[in-house]
Amino acid sequence: MSDARRPEFPGLRGPVTLALLGALLPVLMFAGLFAGAIPLEIETVVNSLLGRDGPRQDFIVLQSRLPRALLAALAGGALALSGALIQALMRNPLASPKIVGINSGAAFAVLVTAFYIPALPHSLLPVPAALGGLMAGALVWWCAQRGDIDPRQLTLVGLAVGLTLDAGVDALLVANTGPESSAPLIWLTGSLWGRGWTHLASVAPVLLTLAAAALILAFRLDLQALGPRRAAGLGVRIGLERTLALLAAVILASVAVSVVGVLGFVGLMAPHVATRLVGGRHRIMLPTAALFGAVLTVGADTLGRAIRPPLEISAGILTALMGAAFFIWLLIAEDRRILA
Amino acid sequence: MTDLTFSRTGRPSRIRLSRGGMRGAVLTCVLAAGALASLLTGGRDDVGLAQLAGLFAGEAASPAEQTMRDIRLPRTLAAAGLGINLGVAGLLLQAVTRNPLASPAILGINQGAALGIVLGLTVPALAVVPGWLLASVFGLAAACLTFAIAGLVSGRIDSMRLILGGVAVGAIGFSAVRLGYTLEDDIAREVVRWTVGDIADLRIDAALRLLAFAVPGLGLAYLMAHRLNLMAMGHAASHGLGFDPRATLVQGTVLAALLTGVSISVAGPIAFVGLVAPHIARWLCGADHRRLLPVVVLIGATLTIWADALSKLLPQAEEAPVGIVVAMLGAPWLLVSVLRRSGTAHV
Repeated sequence: MSDARRPEFPGLRGPVTLALLGALLPVLMFAGLFAGAIPLEIETVVNSLLGRDGPRQDFIVLQSRLPRALLAALAGGALALSGALIQALMRNPLASPKIVGINSGAAFAVLVTAFYIPALPHSLLPVPAALGGLMAGALVWWCAQRGDIDPRQLTLVGLAVGLTLDAGVDALLVANTGPESSAPLIWLTGSLWGRGWTHLASVAPVLLTLAAAALILAFRLDLQALGPRRAAGLGVRIGLERTLALLAAVILASVAVSVVGVLGFVGLMAPHVATRLVGGRHRIMLPTAALFGAVLTVGADTLGRAIRPPLEISAGILTALMGAAFFIWLLIAEDRRILA
Repeated sequence: MTDLTFSRTGRPSRIRLSRGGMRGAVLTCVLAAGALASLLTGGRDDVGLAQLAGLFAGEAASPAEQTMRDIRLPRTLAAAGLGINLGVAGLLLQAVTRNPLASPAILGINQGAALGIVLGLTVPALAVVPGWLLASVFGLAAACLTFAIAGLVSGRIDSMRLILGGVAVGAIGFSAVRLGYTLEDDIAREVVRWTVGDIADLRIDAALRLLAFAVPGLGLAYLMAHRLNLMAMGHAASHGLGFDPRATLVQGTVLAALLTGVSISVAGPIAFVGLVAPHIARWLCGADHRRLLPVVVLIGATLTIWADALSKLLPQAEEAPVGIVVAMLGAPWLLVSVLRRSGTAHV
C-alpha cells in the first residue's frame, strides 16, 4: 500500500482480475446447480437450461437452484459494495454493514413487519428493511455527531447499536414463537433456503440500480481521496456525494438482508480482498469487491448444500466463520503495520 | 453498616446510616423484592410464601408446597447464582484487562463456552467430560485467543483490539455452534432454546452447582482483591509494588472462565450481566475491589432475579427466556456507556 511500491501507471492488473473473477462467478453458479439434496447429471442440467429434449429436471434447475444462485450473487455483491462504500466514507478499515449495525436494523424491521403487518406482501419487505437499516445508520451517525468520535470509536458505537437491535430481534422471535418460527430463524442465519424468482424480482431492480449508481459515484470518490479542497476545486460537491454514497451503501445492505438474512462479514471481507488484489482506486476496486462478494456468497451457498446433503448449512454460517477469522487476521496485521 | 459518629465530648451524638450503608440497604431491599416477585409468579396461582413452610416436609408436602420447593425456589436460587457468577467474572475481567467494556460475552468467553457444550453433545468421546469443565476450557481458550489478538504476547493490551478481537472470536464460536446444531439435527431444539438463556427448567441440582462455584469463586476473588486494586494503577505500578501483573491476569482470567463456564453449562450464554453489574457496582461504591466484590454479588443477583421475575411477569404467549430480558436491558446500557465514554476519547 505504500507509495514507493505503487507503479507509475495502473497496468492491467485491475482488468485482468475483474475478468478472472467475472469468469469464476458463472462457473461457480453452474456448479451450484449440481449441489443439493438431489444429485443431477450434467446432461440433465444442460438440457433443462437450454430447453432441449432428453432427461430434464426443470423444477429443480430452473425454479429452485438457478434463481438461488442468481440471488446469492446479487446479494453478496450488494453487501460487498455496501461494505466498500462504508469503509471508504468512514475511512475505517474495520467498518462494515454488520459492524455498523445496519444488518441488525434491517433484520429488526423485517421481523417487525412480518410479525405485526402480516398482510404486507413479501415482495415489499425490502422497503421496511431499507427503513430499518437507515434508522440504524442514522442512530450511529447521530451518536457520532455528539462529541467528536474518532473512526475506531464509531465502530464501538455501531457494535452497541447492533447488539441492542439484536436483543430486539431475539425478543421478537420469542414473543412470536409459533409453528412457523423456524423460518425466520433460518433466514436470520443468512440462508438462501426457499428463495426463488419472486424474491429475485422484488430486489433485483433496486440492487442493480443502486449498484450502478455506486459505480458512477466511485469516480467521484477517487477525486475525494485527493483531499476536500482539491476535490472541491475539481467540481466535487463533497457533502452531497458523501451523503448519496452512504445512502446507497445503507440501502444496498438492507435490501440484501431483507431477502437473504444476515450474511455476516461479506461486506467486511470483500473490500479488503479487492484492495489487495487491484489496489485502492475505487473505480476498479468497487466492481472487484462486488464480484468477489458475489463469488464468496455463491461459493458459501454451494458449499453449504454440498457438505452433507440433504442437510443445508446456511451460507451465513460459512461466511461468518471465514469472515471472523479474516477479521482477526486483519486486526493482527493492522498491529504489525503500526509497529513497523 | 451503621456508623457511630462521636461528638467532641466523646459521647455518641447520633447514629446515622452512612451513604454506603444506605445504598447497601436499598440494594438489599431491591434484591429481596425481586426474589419475592420471582417466587410469587408462575404457572400456579395457589403458591405463595406460605408454601415455604413445606420446604422440609418431604413426601408429606402438598402439591403447592412441592411446586415451591421443587420448581420456584430452585429457579430463583439458580437465577441468583447465575448473576453472582457472571457479575464476579465480569468484575475480574474488567480489572485484569483494565478495560471497562470487558465481559465474558464481549471477550468471546461465552461463545467459546457454548461451543464447548455443543461439542460435548456431538462428539461421543467428549461425552464423559462434565459440561462445566468443557465450557470452562473452551471459554478459557477463547479468552486466550482474544488476548493474543489484543497484543498480550507483545506485552501490551490494546483496548480497542481487545473488544473487536473478542467480538470476532465470539462470532467464530457462535457460528461454530450454529454449524453444530445444523449438522446434528437431534440436538437443534435443545440447543436453540438453550442459546437464548432459558432457566425455566432448572431444578435444585443446577442451583446448587451454581452456588457451589459461586462461594469458593467469591473467596478466591476476594483474596485477589488487593492485587486487582493494584492492577488499576497500571501494570508497571503493580509490578513495582511487588506483584506480577501477569500472574494476576492469568489467575483472574482462569477464575472468570470457570465461573462463566459453569453458568453457561447450566443456563446457556447469558450476556450483559457480566458487563453491567460491575459498572453499577463501581457507580455505587467506587473502585476498591474489596468493597466492589460483595456489592457486585448483590447487584448481579438482583439483575438476574429481576430479569427472571420479569420473564415470568411479562404478558406473552410464552415466557421470554431470562437471557433475552437481560439483553434487552444490557444492550442499551452498553450503548449509553460507549457514548458517555466517547466524550473522554478513551476506551
